[in-house]
Amino acid sequence: MNNNFVKGSWQEILDWAQNKSINMLHYCTGCGAIELPPTMTSRYDMSRFGIGPAATPRQADLLLVTGYLSTKTLRRLIYTYEQMQAPKFVVGFGSCTINGGMYWDSYNTIKQLDKYLPVEMYIAGCMPRPEAILDGLLKLKKMIADGEADGYQRYQDNLEYYHQNQEAVLGEVQRTQ
Amino acid sequence: MRNEKDLLQLMNAHFEPLKLEIKRKQNVSVEFKKEELIQALSFLKSHSYRHLSTISCVDWPEEGEFELVYHLFSYDDLINISLKTRIKRDPGIFQTAKEIWPVAEFYERDIHDFFGVKFKGNDNLEELILENWQEIPPMRKDFDTRKFVNDKYEWRDYNGQKHTD
Repeated sequence: MNNNFVKGSWQEILDWAQNKSINMLHYCTGCGAIELPPTMTSRYDMSRFGIGPAATPRQADLLLVTGYLSTKTLRRLIYTYEQMQAPKFVVGFGSCTINGGMYWDSYNTIKQLDKYLPVEMYIAGCMPRPEAILDGLLKLKKMIADGEADGYQRYQDNLEYYHQNQEAVLGEVQRTQ
Repeated sequence: MRNEKDLLQLMNAHFEPLKLEIKRKQNVSVEFKKEELIQALSFLKSHSYRHLSTISCVDWPEEGEFELVYHLFSYDDLINISLKTRIKRDPGIFQTAKEIWPVAEFYERDIHDFFGVKFKGNDNLEELILENWQEIPPMRKDFDTRKFVNDKYEWRDYNGQKHTD
């Protein structure tokens, strides 16, 4: 049997398994975090989709960035992301992560999250309702199952690009890898 | 238990305030000369105004002054009092209140971050909230936020149209 074929099929099995169980680290930077408790608990109950909260970065696959990021929290977010084990996915949550949102002219909030970390997808809204969050996470599950969620691969391949952007706004950044 | 009028009388009896005002119920504002302010703080602390809520700062670039506002509260009188004073914007140095309330150190660091006011006697004025800040302090009125943001960050491109257009 062709080696690539075996590898490809194995990856498909891994992707299938991965999308059934997602441990989410919700990095509550901004006001969007208030939509997560109803999403996680009995009203909307995200655990029926196989998504649950994780306690620490090392136990999580999904980094949910809920809201605006100041340059100071961006630094902590990068440390958090680099502690997570691949495969790992980043979801930007709310309009602040997309283009700065209502903080677009603030001196200390970043405007585009995908310049600093490889974002799989954004959930738009200010702030998104639990229905929108679940819809977004279901799309993410589909992306993972189809092998399209390759953010950690992109981060490795374009490490220099991401590091440059990070250092442009933060100055020196400590590296764990 | 003092009411607002008693408090103003007490202030008038011991200091020479520039302006006394009862803003509303349980809220009093007193303006001092800068030489008297620290003295007034410790006087009020010994008269049941033990709680320093915060210290805030206002920039008045036309007058060339910073206004420092000390917010105190008394659990016996249930009155908020704001003690105000004006200092020169340049060089912008005032006395520390950390001998009276140790927590003032952090409020002073905050004001030093955002307005660049220095406090004599407070040696630990390193950055509290900002990180690696190189520009003039961001809450000063002459800090051009829009220009800074345009220089530092890139806007997302929506098919040739910027989100700020």
